[in-house]
Amino acid sequence: MVAKLMSVWRVLSRVRLGSLSGIRFVSQTPSSGSVGSAAVSDLQPTRAQDSHGHAEVSAYEKNPDYHGFSDDPHVDQWNMKMAFFFSISVAIVIGGTFIHYLPDHGMRQWARREAEQLIKQREAAGLPLMDENYYEPSKIMLPSTAGEE
Amino acid sequence: MLKILIPTLMLIPTTWLIPKKWLWTTTTSQSLIIALISLLWLKWDSEIGWSSSNIYLATDPLSTPLLILTCWLLPLMILASQNHISPEPINRQRSYITLLILLQFFLILAFSATEMIMFYIMFEATLIPTLIIITRWGNQTERLNAGTYFLFYTLTGSLPLLVALLLLQKDLGSLSMLTMQFTKPMTFISWSDKIWWAGCLLAFLVKMPLYGIHLWLPKAHVEAPIAGSMVLAAVLLKLGGYGMMRITSLLDPLTKELSYPFIVMALWGIIMTGSICLRQTDLKSLIAYSSVSHMGLVVAGILTQTPWGFTGAIILMIAHGLVSSALFCLANTNYERTHNRTLLLTRGMQIILPLMTTWWFMANLANLALPPIPNLMGELFIIVSTFNWSYWTILLTGLGTLITASYSLYMFLMTQRGPTPTHIITLYPSHSREHLLMALHLLPILMLMSKPELVWGWCYC
Repeated sequence: MVAKLMSVWRVLSRVRLGSLSGIRFVSQTPSSGSVGSAAVSDLQPTRAQDSHGHAEVSAYEKNPDYHGFSDDPHVDQWNMKMAFFFSISVAIVIGGTFIHYLPDHGMRQWARREAEQLIKQREAAGLPLMDENYYEPSKIMLPSTAGEE
Repeated sequence: MLKILIPTLMLIPTTWLIPKKWLWTTTTSQSLIIALISLLWLKWDSEIGWSSSNIYLATDPLSTPLLILTCWLLPLMILASQNHISPEPINRQRSYITLLILLQFFLILAFSATEMIMFYIMFEATLIPTLIIITRWGNQTERLNAGTYFLFYTLTGSLPLLVALLLLQKDLGSLSMLTMQFTKPMTFISWSDKIWWAGCLLAFLVKMPLYGIHLWLPKAHVEAPIAGSMVLAAVLLKLGGYGMMRITSLLDPLTKELSYPFIVMALWGIIMTGSICLRQTDLKSLIAYSSVSHMGLVVAGILTQTPWGFTGAIILMIAHGLVSSALFCLANTNYERTHNRTLLLTRGMQIILPLMTTWWFMANLANLALPPIPNLMGELFIIVSTFNWSYWTILLTGLGTLITASYSLYMFLMTQRGPTPTHIITLYPSHSREHLLMALHLLPILMLMSKPELVWGWCYC
């Protein structure tokens, strides 16, 4: 039974739970495994890498026209062009034009124009701008007081 | 609706099949095209009601601005993450983008859901990609704690919501939002009705967050990578606000009395979190607490249950989403260069990165609600609405506005002005990508100034 437990233990001890859950593997030696290659610089100050993996060399050194997208200059330039075109020229300009020409939802702008036009018309005719009663008093049917209770 | 959902889902095959060189270019371009198409939702056909393509998914003037914000944010998240994810193996990059796309998909379904249970399921579903993003790609060991707080705060709040919704389904027969607005007011007499009321709102209050149950937010926002912080601040918090606005049409007579402690907590939270901001040493934590502060105003606005309150809440949600995300992007540009978020260590950046200072300035001005930026419009509507609710709130909201202005100014002065520490004078200049990112955050805010009726919601007619 001890032998069985030992064999089970030998199998289990080979399972690396760390690699399953993807815990960052902080080590000083460069490892070719997928876990170790995403070394985070702030956990390993001795390696002195920045987020590009450039090891303190700025990307501007190799590519003075670096736009921030990619280390490959060709991809970098095209990525910049696509991003700027689709965001500004397409989404903001065309989208903004579309929004500008949307119909007057809820007739708000019409209501404003109508109100201004009515005011102008009534002032010119000398009429009061608005009747002080919201409903016409003669149309309100009040129940007679005799029928109450 | 499908013209947005199918391209969003097809972004996933795009990320997995595109050759490694062009991954980021194509995903950025495709998500921007999706964002352009999402603007079509702004064409509301009916006066104040729903525009629906089918009975399950519909948009109305409340959900449309939030949906467009969600669709706009995906390309911005991809742009922001491009730099820090690129050293990783290609499949991990693809997984990261896939998580962002899945999150986008669930958010679109959540905001356009016509049925409360579907909204609930999507509300919960957004937790999973966010949790994975925070705990896998966060930078410090605290990210595990942050993920736990985030997950369990939200889950604990939303389990009562599930029970409340099921009870409601049993009573009403249907939880479709299309008909919910026409339900007769229900009679609430017993204690269990009041607990039901609290159950309906608790999940959204935790998500907003309400001060007192806000502890998950600073942790989650700080530990998340930039895309996680952006989507959390810009959209996920607004899920809570959106849910509250939908469900309050049913909770009506009770809310007049029962909302009292929550409004007070929210307003008190504005002061408290604003004051905490003034004492923060961590830049992202400062921005996270400022989010809690603004959302406190939104909670107060929604709970007053007035047209102006709702309108102010929607405007502030959209404006805050864009500005807060912009601030997180700015903090990230600092973080990518100096690898720390401590305010004392990244001072005096104006000398080194003067163009970025322009963006810092504009983002901070928007954050402190400078007129005529929509943040101010939202805040004023809510302040007036709470003043109508009770005169004494003006003390809290006025003081809150003052503290907001002071911590925004503090943030600007600490990062941009002052003596530059000698260890950061050799930082590399700002990338075009970073300038584009900031422009794409702030241009919509500026454009909203000229047509604010897009975000007034359905109450202000």
